[in-house]
Amino acid sequence: MAEPARAGDVAVEMAGIAKSFGDVHALDDVTFRVAPGEVHGLLGENGAGKTTLMNVLTGLYLADRGDVALHGQHVDLRTPSDAVGHGVGMVHQHFELVQAFSALENILLGAVTATWSMDTASHRERIADLADHYGFTVDLDTRVADMEVGDQQKVEILRILYAGADILVLDEPTTHLTPAEVDHLFASVRELAAEGLAVVLIAHKLHEVFAVCDRVTVLRHGRLAGSLDVAAAAHADVVAMMMGDDATMVEARAKTCDIGEDEVLSLRGVTATGGAVDVHLHDLDLQVHRGEFVGIAGVAGNGQRELMELLAGLRPITTGRMHASGVDVTHARVDERIRAGVAVLPGDRMREGVLPASPLYETYALGRHLLHDHFSPHDLQDQARDMIARFDVRTSGPTAPTASLSGGNIQKVLVARALDVSEHAGGGAMVVMNPTSGLDVGAAAFVHDQLVRTCEAGGGVLLISEDLDELLALCDRVVVLSHGRLAGQQVAGDYDRLVLGDLMVAAHG
Amino acid sequence: MLGLVVALVVNALLLAALGANPVTAYSTILSAALGSVAGLAQTLNRTTPLLLGASAVAFAMRAGYVNLGIDGQIYAGAILATGVAFLLDGWPAVVLLPVVLLAGLVGGGLLASIPAWLRATRGINELFVTVMLNFVALFLAEYLATGPWTDPVAGEAITVPISAAADLPRLLPGGGHAGILLALPVAVGLSLWLARTRSGFEFRAAGSNPLAAGFGGVRLVRIGVVALVVAGALGGLAGAIEVTGVHSRLLTGLTPNFGYMAVLIAVLARRSPVATIPVAFAFAVLIVGADSLQRSVGLPPSAVLLFQAVVVVSILAFETARGRRLVARLVQATRRSPGRRRAGGVA
Repeated sequence: MAEPARAGDVAVEMAGIAKSFGDVHALDDVTFRVAPGEVHGLLGENGAGKTTLMNVLTGLYLADRGDVALHGQHVDLRTPSDAVGHGVGMVHQHFELVQAFSALENILLGAVTATWSMDTASHRERIADLADHYGFTVDLDTRVADMEVGDQQKVEILRILYAGADILVLDEPTTHLTPAEVDHLFASVRELAAEGLAVVLIAHKLHEVFAVCDRVTVLRHGRLAGSLDVAAAAHADVVAMMMGDDATMVEARAKTCDIGEDEVLSLRGVTATGGAVDVHLHDLDLQVHRGEFVGIAGVAGNGQRELMELLAGLRPITTGRMHASGVDVTHARVDERIRAGVAVLPGDRMREGVLPASPLYETYALGRHLLHDHFSPHDLQDQARDMIARFDVRTSGPTAPTASLSGGNIQKVLVARALDVSEHAGGGAMVVMNPTSGLDVGAAAFVHDQLVRTCEAGGGVLLISEDLDELLALCDRVVVLSHGRLAGQQVAGDYDRLVLGDLMVAAHG
Repeated sequence: MLGLVVALVVNALLLAALGANPVTAYSTILSAALGSVAGLAQTLNRTTPLLLGASAVAFAMRAGYVNLGIDGQIYAGAILATGVAFLLDGWPAVVLLPVVLLAGLVGGGLLASIPAWLRATRGINELFVTVMLNFVALFLAEYLATGPWTDPVAGEAITVPISAAADLPRLLPGGGHAGILLALPVAVGLSLWLARTRSGFEFRAAGSNPLAAGFGGVRLVRIGVVALVVAGALGGLAGAIEVTGVHSRLLTGLTPNFGYMAVLIAVLARRSPVATIPVAFAFAVLIVGADSLQRSVGLPPSAVLLFQAVVVVSILAFETARGRRLVARLVQATRRSPGRRRAGGVA
């Protein structure tokens, strides 16, 4: 366990770190310093280099240049086990737990090496003490697969602490937690810091940094934007650092079209309570009109994914009606909804969007293959060739394996595919979820342009996004989804981030 | 291909260690399987069930389903084919033979509809069900061959012969039947269907990434049922061909593990039905030729099995290495994906 903090001691000192992947400079001359007993926020947009920097610290990546020192000693972290040996532990966004093992077994798995037998009872006692001490109470005998996400996270943290870590890295730990669980986690994190551990919190929510951190370091495009004491900083200071001088807010896009009367998509009193899911959807009333751009805002895990699946036709509607361009599609299958012009662009493009090993033209054809009576692979290849030229997709051709394309180019293909479905219905509904996550600025702008054009062409867009900037820049109105219900909305011109933020985090009454 | 070279070299060493001249042995295999019309007839007879089974397995694999039940489906098809042949005894060949072959398709399809139904309604993995049903079908065949349909003179698990009108026409002297003329178009047709048709595309999409296929409007449950039942029906057809082409009756021992070899062939052919044609033929050559090694070179039967196993293992080892590289590439591609994984994931 951690030794008491000494004044002036530095737990982590990373200096001049550089790391490139091919032509992309993920990190360039980054300096990062964390004291023992400190909770240090690491902020930055998607792709700013936060996770890469921490992967260097945890031995997953070898830096091209730069120096890492832990507790004043230069260290050579070539493998994750080197880092573990030096007391560095990381809780990833996706937990690295064996689902079929109990909490206790998972904790012992990394921390204890035993050849023939081990004294489980004494380990159990010490782990229970550790858990009590920091407020990570979990049932050690429950299988991880049967645990809530919040409890799985506790197990993961306990595992790392029990392995002897005194430098703890948490990668966006609140993403999947309820507000109450977040409070609990933050209390435990403060407790860990009070014991002298150095805690790094990778975050992308400002208020979390202000809630729990002592210091904050901001990265922008792989470079250090600055470090601040949180107590002495204002929100605006940190935002300014994140945005930089070239304040690259998402550019607001003026549409050149009016909102029509016809509904391209409508939910009336829709409830979906079937299946084993995190969030049930209740009493959804939502209309998207011709030419209208509607946004769904909310903290991840409040039913966004369920809503997308419901609109696609993958999640049955329990009560209420759903219409697409006037046609009742309440109980329609996915293929029937595609023919009715409901084009869904799923949030996880690699898992839900593409056929990775198949040629590009087949990924492009998926869903579109239902639109025409005639089916011909030859035509599909020609269409893909046209699309590649039209949207400037960087690939060797329609027969290139889909997985060989970059994320941005894959997203172009998926957007093109959804556009075709929507246009085929003479202006249908586009449902898009987090369409620009992980994309560079150019690719994101392309996606935004296409969505706006869909509206202008007489379709309607429903944008489900965790990026409030994106929503406010593009949408005619923004509806907040919270705990599976629509909690309220604001219309363009009257946007107030604070009000929307309140709606997003308001406890469901 | 490298796998095949390694297999041949290892086997040459093996043969030498057993005191046989590898060159003589290899030439014996080739001349026994291909060197005479009778040998070729035997080889094609062996190719037929292997080809039907392997193209059926490959077909189902393309949709993401693994049918380990070809052996059971062969028996089920053989049972129904034999039963129908008994029932329609006296009908002219021109009607009887097609009906009997059709009965084989239905028998295999019926047996495969059990795993298909369990998979579709309860999500029970078809691997286990298809394997278990192999035993059910085998023992049902044994019951019929020793009980109601038994040939009392034979004194073993064998039925009385079916009407000669139900026999497959001969293609070659030496017992070569026309079954291969059914199997070849099946393999080619399946590949064409997969490559050229809308349903074939949906089939492959479901096998490649079911989640994305579901978002693309592909009806996954229906595809699972079609994949398993069609594969089962083709297994059943192989059974009917064995009855009408080779034995003229039902017996246990109808399939010396054709089903498992079919899986191997399908994997080696990279799940392409049409590519199973050369692979199934090569396996048939190996089986027929290796059998003759026992007689001519005087190898013990176990050495022949060893010989076949070496070929399978070495080719599979190289295929797996390829597969790993593919997986590694896909993982890399997924890592590039920024879409956040759901914590906890799917247990």
